[in-house]
Amino acid sequence: MKSCSQKGLRKRSLALLGAVLMMGTAVLSGCAKKSEGATLKIGIGQFAEHGSLDNCRNGFIEGLKEAGYIEGENITIYYENAQTDGGTASQIVDNFLEKGCSLICGIATPMAQSAYSAAKKQDVPVIFTAVTDPIAAELANADGTPAGNVTGTSDKLPVQMQLEMIREVMPDADTIGILYCTSEVNSISAIEEYKEAAGDYGFTIIENGIQTTADIPLAADGLMKQVDCITNLTDNTVVSCLPIVLEKATEAGIPVFGSEVEQVKIGCLGAVGLDYYSLGIQTGKMAAQVLKGEKKAEEIPFEVIEEAAFYGNTAVAKKLGITIPDSLIESAAQVFDTIEQ
Amino acid sequence: MTILLGILEEGFVYAIMALGVYITYKILDFPDLSVDGTFPLGGAVAASLLCKGMNPWLTLIVSFLAGAIAGIGTGLIHVKLKVRDLLSGIIMMTALYSVNLKIAGKANLPIFSRETIFENEWLESFLPEGAKRYVTVMFLFLILLAGKLALDAYLKTRSGYLLRAAGDNEILVTSLAKDKGFVKITGLAIANAFAALAGCVYVQMNGFFEISTGTGTIVIGLASVIIGTSLFKNVSFIKPTTAVIAGSLLYKWCVSRAIRFGLPSNDLKLVTSVLFLIILVFSERKRRGKKNA
Amino acid sequence: MLELQSLNKYYNPGTVNEMCLFRDFNLQIPDHEFVAVVGSNGSGKTSMLNLICGSIPLDGGKIVANGRDISNLPDYKRNKRIGRVYQNPALGTCPNMTILENMSLADNKGGRFNLRRGTNKARISYYKELLQSLNLGLEEKLHVKVGSLSGGQRQAMALLMCTMSEIEFLILDEHTAALDPKTADRIMELTDEIVKKKKLTTIMVTHNLRYAVEYGSRILMMHEGNIILDKAGEEKKSLSTNELLDRFTHISIECGN
Repeated sequence: MKSCSQKGLRKRSLALLGAVLMMGTAVLSGCAKKSEGATLKIGIGQFAEHGSLDNCRNGFIEGLKEAGYIEGENITIYYENAQTDGGTASQIVDNFLEKGCSLICGIATPMAQSAYSAAKKQDVPVIFTAVTDPIAAELANADGTPAGNVTGTSDKLPVQMQLEMIREVMPDADTIGILYCTSEVNSISAIEEYKEAAGDYGFTIIENGIQTTADIPLAADGLMKQVDCITNLTDNTVVSCLPIVLEKATEAGIPVFGSEVEQVKIGCLGAVGLDYYSLGIQTGKMAAQVLKGEKKAEEIPFEVIEEAAFYGNTAVAKKLGITIPDSLIESAAQVFDTIEQ
Repeated sequence: MTILLGILEEGFVYAIMALGVYITYKILDFPDLSVDGTFPLGGAVAASLLCKGMNPWLTLIVSFLAGAIAGIGTGLIHVKLKVRDLLSGIIMMTALYSVNLKIAGKANLPIFSRETIFENEWLESFLPEGAKRYVTVMFLFLILLAGKLALDAYLKTRSGYLLRAAGDNEILVTSLAKDKGFVKITGLAIANAFAALAGCVYVQMNGFFEISTGTGTIVIGLASVIIGTSLFKNVSFIKPTTAVIAGSLLYKWCVSRAIRFGLPSNDLKLVTSVLFLIILVFSERKRRGKKNA
Repeated sequence: MLELQSLNKYYNPGTVNEMCLFRDFNLQIPDHEFVAVVGSNGSGKTSMLNLICGSIPLDGGKIVANGRDISNLPDYKRNKRIGRVYQNPALGTCPNMTILENMSLADNKGGRFNLRRGTNKARISYYKELLQSLNLGLEEKLHVKVGSLSGGQRQAMALLMCTMSEIEFLILDEHTAALDPKTADRIMELTDEIVKKKKLTTIMVTHNLRYAVEYGSRILMMHEGNIILDKAGEEKKSLSTNELLDRFTHISIECGN
């Protein structure tokens, strides 16, 4: 009797397993088909999900559009997000290749590397963006020429301009704190740059490395005690928990400077930031060149976006009792008077 | 074709690691989370050594040994310091995060420009252009096969018998005048050596080391082991090691199908967790049923 | 010769539940003696075996085997010279390994567990011979997993396995208690055969008074950590089950149960 019911159980469990798998695939395949009939297929893989990278992607699509490649008309765009998982990243690229994409865009360093690694076997061009140091990532040779059929744009932080701006806003400050995640290679190179340049503006940098978002509250508390202000990088881990840092900073009366417009919107005092949207547009135009066959990716050196602008938030300034100098406000690309929650 | 190659490549790599998980989870009944740290450990070792110009094939051996040492570490924490099995793995996994960063020097270490086992001058010299695509999958298969056969052979040695006995009935190991702690440490060493070997191969395949690659390794490993051994439970001529490899391929196939059919990768972890839970619950229930009988 | 010299053993030391089981407990077992130990629950029989094997820590005194103090040796090292069969048949074998693999493991006790082949093919006929002596037909099932055998078959294997290698002491911890009467009788006969053939110094804890009287060369009755009856040789031979039972009831009444 017992063995009989067990056999039944086993059969049922297998059947259920199969059913779940089939149902899953059936439901999913239903929502997959859209915009068929387009001639060119493009895959966009994004490593993490946050404002800067999202702006990058939207800019990229806009850049393609400006060059005559319109989604749903003459191109199909597939978009996948790896959610900071390396294994998923390579599977996303395999999937793009299987779908027959003629170009892959990798947003952020690990995604770009995954794309390059998988696509080079089939010689599919890869366009990257939001890669801070393409040379260190071996996506480009030391002289700036592409390492293979791969090119794109770099989002190097305007460190000098940021330091200059902080000095203008806080003439008496001595120390700047930076919170970063030890696993993000871009943050580490940015910190090195900050440390090198800080002396010129009379600052000392105090950094505090974390490993996961869970470490942020404690690390932020520790940092607040030691510094006059905080400047924030484009560190994916920290940015995703920026509201926590901002809350603690407001309590301690310490201003936080951002690195991008999205960060100022949600409560950073100010930032000299890149416009990731225009970075994306620039990247999209490079992709269009490759698609049109004007140039091969391996013939185009990567480009660095130089133009940076000031973004300020007067509501934050009022809260902290700080006035942003008029000269900055006048030159600002955008000034916010509310804090977005 | 691309996707099939992709599944085979990823499936083979993770199968090497899953063989290790098979030892800890199935043979020793030890839920060892350290593989989440030893998989990237193998990668970090490989990437940093390749940057120093070491022969790619040698890095396999060094990574294997590095993984074994980490496994011994987990074992010592568990056996000598009497920390619970799950916790010892977590401690080792957490510690390895920093160790891996130290070894690689940074969180992301590319080796695109270096020679790897899949791409080197020697291979270029005689391989026709068309064969290049299949080199990776072929070598992976050979490495996996070597690992599997070695493990099969080991499990038939005296030491291997003792390892199986330790998972089956600890008391018997003591009765045989052998230290069961030592046997467990041996098992953990072998298991983590396999995980590190997989990480080493993985990095060479992808062309870069990334600290985040280890996250979730154990889930893939456990899923492969459980899927494989549950499916082929009643097929006696298929060895459990073969079943584990099949499990790994099947798991990767499911995940890739899911992405292919438009499952947003955001939901991927949820879907795999649910899938994993279902398999776990059913195989667990079966096990309990057997014990009661 | 196995000597227990002024053993002390406490349970739950330092708490309100502290209980002293053994205080200055002494026992000498000469070579080749087969000692049957009886006693009520909690009398310390199994604790004594656990102390000898090192399964539980000792709080005072010495355990000396053949002139060597083994009190500080870890359990697995003591087991080189000791074989033990438990009440639960599952504890003496590996359920997921085959009969042949189990026999090979046991055959290798005391040797090195290295990378040589686990099963020595040349020994298979010897294993078959041993299994044949059990009269259970196990020699025909070499490749069957032990987990699928019955309790009696597994206990017979456990007995065979722990006496295969060169041991001096055999510890039997109620090893027939979980079996049906017929199988228990068979295992008991088998035990006696093996003990006599191998001239093992044996301690057998049992609840079966008949076995205690019928088998062995010495009988001990324990109560609350003390030996209250110790008969050997002719004295033991003249002891009947009824006498033993009377004595047993007596101590049970004292305890109030």
